[in-house]
Amino acid sequence: MSIESILIVGGGLAGFTVAQNLRTRGFTGTIDLIDPAGIPYDRPPLSKAYLLGDKDAAGIELAPASWFSEHRVGLLRATVHALAIEPLGVELQDGRKLHADILVLATGGSARPLPVAGGDLDSVLVLRSRADADTLRGKLAPGIRLAIVGAGLIGAEVASSALALGAEVTLIDPVETPLVPAVGPELARRLHAMHSGAGITVVHGTPAGITRTGAGRRIELADGRVLECDEVLVGIGIIPNTALAQGAGLATDNGVLVDEHQRTSHPGIYAVGDMARTRSADGTLQRRGEHWEHAMNTGATAAAAILGQEPPVHGASWFWSDRHGTHVEGVGDMNAEGTTILRLKEGEPVAAFNVAADGRMLGAAAIDGGLMIRAARRIIDRGIIVPPEALADPEVPLKKLAR
Amino acid sequence: MDTEKSPGLPAVDLGGEDLLEPGTALLVPAETSGYPEDIGLFRADSGVYYALDDECPHEVASLSEGWIEDDEVECPLHSSRFCLRDGKVLCLPAVRDARTHKVQVLAGRVLLHPGTAAGGN
Ligand SMILES: Cc1cc2nc3c(=O)[nH]c(=O)nc-3n(C[C@H](O)[C@H](O)[C@H](O)COP(=O)(O)OP(=O)(O)OC[C@H]3O[C@@H](n4cnc5c(N)ncnc54)[C@H](O)[C@@H]3O)c2cc1C
Ligand code: FES
Repeated sequence: MSIESILIVGGGLAGFTVAQNLRTRGFTGTIDLIDPAGIPYDRPPLSKAYLLGDKDAAGIELAPASWFSEHRVGLLRATVHALAIEPLGVELQDGRKLHADILVLATGGSARPLPVAGGDLDSVLVLRSRADADTLRGKLAPGIRLAIVGAGLIGAEVASSALALGAEVTLIDPVETPLVPAVGPELARRLHAMHSGAGITVVHGTPAGITRTGAGRRIELADGRVLECDEVLVGIGIIPNTALAQGAGLATDNGVLVDEHQRTSHPGIYAVGDMARTRSADGTLQRRGEHWEHAMNTGATAAAAILGQEPPVHGASWFWSDRHGTHVEGVGDMNAEGTTILRLKEGEPVAAFNVAADGRMLGAAAIDGGLMIRAARRIIDRGIIVPPEALADPEVPLKKLAR
Repeated sequence: MDTEKSPGLPAVDLGGEDLLEPGTALLVPAETSGYPEDIGLFRADSGVYYALDDECPHEVASLSEGWIEDDEVECPLHSSRFCLRDGKVLCLPAVRDARTHKVQVLAGRVLLHPGTAAGGN
């Protein structure tokens, strides 16, 4: 059967990339992208440049409106209510039904609610969409007391941005040093210490309940401590938006299960981005990727697979985070069994490398080390064996080792 | 998008032909070139010199600190790649192209023409 029409549900980075790659790969049929938010926009700036006001809504669009007409990609401002299997299609919230030869699910995730009394209060802020960022921005006046639950990536970034906007920030996390799995303990400690260094109150504790107190909020911690604040933001991760897939009987397990080509358990339906989880050919379930590049890569793979073309080869996974004027990056796996090699500058760790017993690099993370990470990435992807002394020596440019 | 054609400035002699090793780059500060923005001078793996506005069109990063491979530079912050020959953005998150500046190697000297697009006269 030749493919004439493709419907993409969700216009975040992953859904947009599918549409873009379908066109660059020569697909001439109908493409429609459905998202209640309209023109796809980038999410990383929501906790950084957009929240700070350095970029406006147009400044975070993934492509201008003209791109969609030039490339004949239909943009439907709507929410999909259910999937239809026979014939394949979707039902929109307003009851309209649309059909297509192929469906792509790219619905991302929703902010995970804090599972304590009051954690689901309407007044508890989260940050996932541009609308969330607008709401948060509206509350962030100088002197406002903002408590942030979760000091991982988004919590840490919002803490830094809110502080810059004049808020009094308290950052709460049950884990003493967040981000260890992503960057290793040494860099994680240094990153976490930047918060108190910048003037943020860092609280190591577990929230047990949130209550309203007139205009403010009160957070009770499990050990009995009480924190008073004006606003609470919860940033403790996401739940993949799998309801549509589940409703249609697709296989899910903390994500819509896909093979290495982003195919779900239905041959006409693909899933990409934060909501998809890969089940390898041997049946092993991979960790679900929740980073920007993963969304783009899975979108590119799906486009190739839909058209029956050779899928692109992607290297080790990669993410970044920006806070307190520093740039953090991680590539590969800092958790896999291996030895840590640190690179120090003026006594402080600037990079950490996770190296396997056979000398292969498994993962790397760095603070303000863009070129180091770009080199590490190639070292990992190409399986280059690098002497550990060279990794530790700040005088050795990693770039030389990657060639 | 900035389509304004700024008039090209007089060429600046940046040094001898082996000024940069292939695969490396150099920042040419605005004061040196007379151009209102810093310019990145790149030497591709092939040995050919190119120049782009140094600041990444995405956010605040210096492309001359990026990763050069073949005739592309990868931004050191969020990894958008740009073609050194024509400044075209090759992948997200940047959505705008980088502005090019013409570079000539004449009589063994590297001459930068600030404000004159590569391929222009
Ligand atoms: C504030 C913030 C900061 C981040 N910063 C970084 C960073 O610095 N570095 C990094 O690597 N990653 C970062 N990320 C992660 C990265 O942005 C995500 O991994 C990426 O956006 C995932 O893309 P996606 O397309 O899968 O999902 P999303 O971007 O979540 O897009 C999903 C889309 O689906 C739509 N949708 C959902 N349900 C329906 C429905 N029923 N009908 C129609 N449409 C629907 C939604 O409206 C949404 O637009 C950040 C994320 C956030 C939220
Ligand atoms: S600043 Fe260059 S890609 Fe973001």
